[in-house]
Amino acid sequence: MTGNNLGQVRFFEFLTDEERREFADGSELVVFEPGETFIEEGSRPSSLYVLTSGQVEVRKSVPGNGDQLLATIDAGEERTVVGERGLLGESGASATVRAKGEVEAIKIPRATFRRMISEGRPAAFKLSYRIARTLARRLARLDEEVVETIRELERHGETDLDAFRDKLMTDWTV
Amino acid sequence: MKETPPLPDIPLFERLNDDEREELGGLLETTGFGPGESLIEEGEQEEKLYILTSGTVEVYKQVLPRHRQLLATIKAPSVVGEMGLLTKPCAAATVVAKTAVEAHGIQRDRFLSMLDAESPAAYKVVHELGRTLAGRMAKTDDSIAEVIVQLERANRRESRDLNTFQDKLIREWSF
Repeated sequence: MTGNNLGQVRFFEFLTDEERREFADGSELVVFEPGETFIEEGSRPSSLYVLTSGQVEVRKSVPGNGDQLLATIDAGEERTVVGERGLLGESGASATVRAKGEVEAIKIPRATFRRMISEGRPAAFKLSYRIARTLARRLARLDEEVVETIRELERHGETDLDAFRDKLMTDWTV
Repeated sequence: MKETPPLPDIPLFERLNDDEREELGGLLETTGFGPGESLIEEGEQEEKLYILTSGTVEVYKQVLPRHRQLLATIKAPSVVGEMGLLTKPCAAATVVAKTAVEAHGIQRDRFLSMLDAESPAAYKVVHELGRTLAGRMAKTDDSIAEVIVQLERANRRESRDLNTFQDKLIREWSF
């Protein structure tokens, strides 16, 4: 990526100017056409994408039920990062992420991130720490929601399956 | 001559060099727990992260008033209390020693201060913890996908039996 454009992207605010420059050197500005897939379910661990404009759809194939829409993510809203689990972990993507309209994003390739980690670069470890906290927070919220749902089902003595399912969907991580 | 406690030889510390091992080793407090003793109590302050080097622990949660659910059985080498480190320090589950357990505790506050000071040792440990969480999240996603499929089927049959789903959901609990 040319120039230090990361300064204008909110996601990178936790980094110093110098660290932002390090990431700017290793990242790419990418543009996806409507319908284009940039993270494919079941494929290798993904790179990280910080969405800067447009909307993406997160879909998952459910056996016997085809393709299920899990979420629509808008670059203008709070959550603008996809692929953080793939960046850090070893397992493949659990959902497909596809551009709804035209989408612009900053890609931090997995290979770049891993090289920065093996070189011991603080900027990469800072990003890693941030992702770890995000994953922990999501897992904790997911746990709380599941418990709350189980308690609610027990209280009512009935099963509102749609509500149950919707709650489970809220904190999916891709 | 200063004596440095040896840092447990576990994957979590694999990336650390000698200086980093020494820095972190100085913060570890070795504690033994007997069978039935709690390392972490649900609902209480989580002041420490524990690195388990021998033994087995069980993780329980009071899901319903009369139902204490076993969420996981964890064998050393492993870590418990990392969720408290990375989120809020209030334990979401109880961790009890099943056998005699050797654990090395690190004070949460000390560790967070190291992270604030950008300590390479702390960063490397958190990086490994994050990789573990990423793996756990992948499994959670898979469990949830299974649950959704079953909910869809149950919905069609109008079955009210959610026990199977509950068990699956909580199998990959994190704490």
